Amino acid sequence: MTTLSHAPASSRPIPNPEKSLITKLHMGTGMVVGIIFCWGTYFAMKAGRDMTDTHNVNKVLLMSMFAWSVGFLLGIGAFIGPFRWLIGKDLTAEEQLFLAGDGQGIKRYFRYCTDHKVVGIQYLVGVMAMLGVGGTMAMMIRTNLATPGSHFVSPNVYNSLVGLHGITMIVAMIIVATGPFGNYIMPIMIGAADMAFPRLNALSWWVLFTAIPVLCSAWFLGGIPTGWTAYAPLSDQAGPGMNAFLATIIIFAVSTAVAGANITTTVIAMRAKGMKWNRVPIFVIGATISVALAIPAFPTFMVAMIQTAMDRTIATGFYDANVGGSGWLYANLFWIMGHPEVYVILIPGVAALMEIAPVFVRKPLFSYNAAIAGFAGIAGLSILVWAHHMYMSGWMPSLNGPFMVTTEFISVPTGLLFLVLIGTLWRGKPWMKLPMLSVYAFIWDFLIGGITGIYLSDVPADNYLHGSMYVTAHFHYTLMGAALTGAIGGLAYWFPKMTGRMLNEKGGYISFWFVQIGFNVLFLGMFIAGSQGQPRRVADYAHLFAHANLISTIGAYSVGIGMLTLLWAIVHSWRSGKIAPMNPWGAKTLEWTVPYPVPLVNFDTPPVVTSDPYGYGRSAK
Amino acid sequence: MSDHDNEIMAPTPGARIATFLKRKDVSQTFWLGLFFTAVFVVLGLWAYPKWMPPVLSKQMQANEDIMIWFTVISAPIAGVVLAIATKSFLNMHRGDTPPEEGVAIRTNTPVVIIWTATSVLFCIVAIVWGLVALNTESIAAATDAPKSLIVDVTGAQWAWSFYYPAQNIHTHTMNIPVDQPVTFNIISDDVNHSFWPVQLGVKVDANRLVTTIAHADPTATGPLDIKCAELCGLYHAYMETSGAVQTPADFASWVSSIQATGGVEQ
Amino acid sequence: MAHDTEFHVHHDSPEAIGRRERLGVRLLIVADGAFLFGMIFSWFYLRNLNVNEAWLPKGVHTFSTASGWVAASGLIVAAIAHRLGEYKRELRNMTSIVVLIALLVGGYLQWHQMAHMPFITKDGADRPFYNGAYASNWVLVAGANMFHYLVGAFVALGLVLRGYRTKIDPTLEVWRQRTAGAWFTWIAIAGVLCALATSFK
Repeated sequence: MTTLSHAPASSRPIPNPEKSLITKLHMGTGMVVGIIFCWGTYFAMKAGRDMTDTHNVNKVLLMSMFAWSVGFLLGIGAFIGPFRWLIGKDLTAEEQLFLAGDGQGIKRYFRYCTDHKVVGIQYLVGVMAMLGVGGTMAMMIRTNLATPGSHFVSPNVYNSLVGLHGITMIVAMIIVATGPFGNYIMPIMIGAADMAFPRLNALSWWVLFTAIPVLCSAWFLGGIPTGWTAYAPLSDQAGPGMNAFLATIIIFAVSTAVAGANITTTVIAMRAKGMKWNRVPIFVIGATISVALAIPAFPTFMVAMIQTAMDRTIATGFYDANVGGSGWLYANLFWIMGHPEVYVILIPGVAALMEIAPVFVRKPLFSYNAAIAGFAGIAGLSILVWAHHMYMSGWMPSLNGPFMVTTEFISVPTGLLFLVLIGTLWRGKPWMKLPMLSVYAFIWDFLIGGITGIYLSDVPADNYLHGSMYVTAHFHYTLMGAALTGAIGGLAYWFPKMTGRMLNEKGGYISFWFVQIGFNVLFLGMFIAGSQGQPRRVADYAHLFAHANLISTIGAYSVGIGMLTLLWAIVHSWRSGKIAPMNPWGAKTLEWTVPYPVPLVNFDTPPVVTSDPYGYGRSAK
Repeated sequence: MSDHDNEIMAPTPGARIATFLKRKDVSQTFWLGLFFTAVFVVLGLWAYPKWMPPVLSKQMQANEDIMIWFTVISAPIAGVVLAIATKSFLNMHRGDTPPEEGVAIRTNTPVVIIWTATSVLFCIVAIVWGLVALNTESIAAATDAPKSLIVDVTGAQWAWSFYYPAQNIHTHTMNIPVDQPVTFNIISDDVNHSFWPVQLGVKVDANRLVTTIAHADPTATGPLDIKCAELCGLYHAYMETSGAVQTPADFASWVSSIQATGGVEQ
Repeated sequence: MAHDTEFHVHHDSPEAIGRRERLGVRLLIVADGAFLFGMIFSWFYLRNLNVNEAWLPKGVHTFSTASGWVAASGLIVAAIAHRLGEYKRELRNMTSIVVLIALLVGGYLQWHQMAHMPFITKDGADRPFYNGAYASNWVLVAGANMFHYLVGAFVALGLVLRGYRTKIDPTLEVWRQRTAGAWFTWIAIAGVLCALATSFK
């Protein structure tokens, strides 16, 4: 330990943590201050403004939403650290110990708690809530589309459901694996005592938390007419609900940047002694590549959102053709983010399954280097392919060819991911527990998703398929079939370490089969509708597509039953499931060497690593 | 031990492959692979032509060909992956204790190289196919330009309208004659729409104050559905109209009937 | 910070903590850099497209070429001053004050430009709008500069206040100076890039 300061220890006053403001702040104070700021801003800005002018309505709503977010963070104590840094009176050791939730029991989950394990659980609950809300919206979409002319909901509600389901699920999928497992498990996996920036860890969660009511407020403001892509100039034209979407993304981008910097720095700088790069577990590699990709990718979305907000409030014209703007600008900025972002979603889910497969097949991960090459190749190429989403936009037909080339080439590193998994399975006897089931589901789902992606990447085929239900089916196979399946596998795998209990097996199996069979019925039906010529994002459709849609809806209900079963299994197991042993799977990564509850600093003595965690297997004959 | 004995003991690569292929798990995987490959081949050859709409243009034919043949080409890949996964799944171990350790295969460099090379090859096939199709299309569009029928397409929330400059008619349905290339000039009055005459297999967005262009070569007569493929607000789902690829005679009489009523379709 | 090392991260040395913090800030700079990229892309793309001949409609006034450099001047001076303080420790407290003043003055200059934009026109209903894509892009770039000035001033103020505290671990504080230097250098580079971009009218 280094010399602490010039003054002798006895003369340094140490504040009593009980008297510190930090001990009095929590989610409740955050909500109070947030609501005061929100309403205060709303009424203060409304006064003296002509509220029949939509620009003023948008200004007032946007500022009120940001005021809620800033106010909540103020009220929960997020700014105390920076303020104390500013005035040169940094937090004391006792205050930091308090922030880490030492001895506070369940209350620490409702505080600005810096313990990465608490943040991981917060993310898990948050993700589950978002999946619930997004999933309910999906059920309403499919119910509306069960039969042609059903009018289960009005077109305005339907379009809002499509857009809000989309953004809710995209945000949920971005954080579904790196949120719970990247925070809770990853630092223990690398032998660290905590994340690099514990206060930023708490910040990333609570900033995301403030975005959730903002997103939900869209429903009370008339919904949104756009899809989750919020294309301009439709977004410029949209009603007040659009402001909720813009504010959500701007807030979420802050959370993502902070989380990305935190996870990346942690993995680079805080690995245990002996954990050279070629001994790092593959999940850690995948999660790090994913968040490191997100850091440069997300801000262009933020630019696009700010430009839309400016158009809607101060009458700039980024997307108004009359004053030199163009919807193509929006599309470019959006997809420069949008394509890397789908790999931000995909990679952690696949990496979790690569962590699981060796354990349950009792063989080494096949070609660890190929796995890394696959992730790195995908991440690198992903920033060169964005305009394949814009082949049909007419923005620059001469670039369609080059983007087709780069897009097709992504199938090479993607193929390596398959090789790693099937190579791991080859000549093994799989222990068919819940986590392992997800590996098989992934292989089928991502195979379909990947092959259908090849058609879409080909410009002549995309002439037909773009904007049809075929695209919707493709990306659900990849984002849901691959990424969500991977995350569910990860949850089944790491549940014992995060909760101290085993996830209910029967419930898990029932859920798995309802979800996977339902999923395939749902989206294979959708491929048919797309092939037949049904456009996407339509509240109603021609009779030609009736059979395919009915099949899809039946599949959707099966998925719904399966996900509710999973929810039951999680809640039931968390409360009264079988107590888990320290290492129920006989795995070799570091998180299985610590007991539950995991100690505050994870390890009593920092571990020293002498080999990689895939040393399974007997020699070949 | 003599050198002669060493020669007998070291198996040749050919012998090693033969031994490999005779292994039970390998042959079972092989048959599974053939099965899955066949499934995908059938999917490509039967399902896509069944599901996709009638082919009324060269462009639609090119689209359908890609769907069919890319499925067939990727069938062996699907076959290998699914075969290995299925064989593994069927070999499952159940129970509360883990199975015995498997074979400690860390990697297999020849397999990695062959796999990567094969996927690069498939990639190149797909790219070349696509580039050739694109190139063919752009050459055709350029050479057809002088003899193309021009149709100005306007998308507005939430209806399509058409203007045929050579015939000086404004319509809300879209008929075109077979065997004559057609060039669409597309624009929007408001937000982004996407002009999609489904059976012609072409599509281009409609943007405000900027004209985009699509080109088609109709090859057969039949009804056309013109849809919007970009969410454009409240009634996006209903932004459709109909039309047809007609014989030149039928097209001419349709044009005349509109001209007779002042050049605007009723 | 002295007390940081007592509890968290297993008594890591100030060197380790400082390096880590600088890496984190550098990663956030990457994110900010991507934002800048988006703005500059927007500038040149719309300028190139010139939709409806409305990048710069007839009769609309622009800022001078020098104005972008005026707006960035505070950022540049601050970055240079901070570097001097990094290398000559005895100058540190004084250069921190210079940095703060440079950022406050520069921020005022940028704000002054924003308060006197020459390209806002009134429409038929007498409501103001930004006339042309140049106008829209200019105000976004200026807003980004303002954001950099505000965050920079916060950091600079912190360094000034902390410079007079005796209870702060000097080794860790040296690293914090370097980390702050990364930020000041970046916002100066961003200011220069914005000035360059906006000189293309």
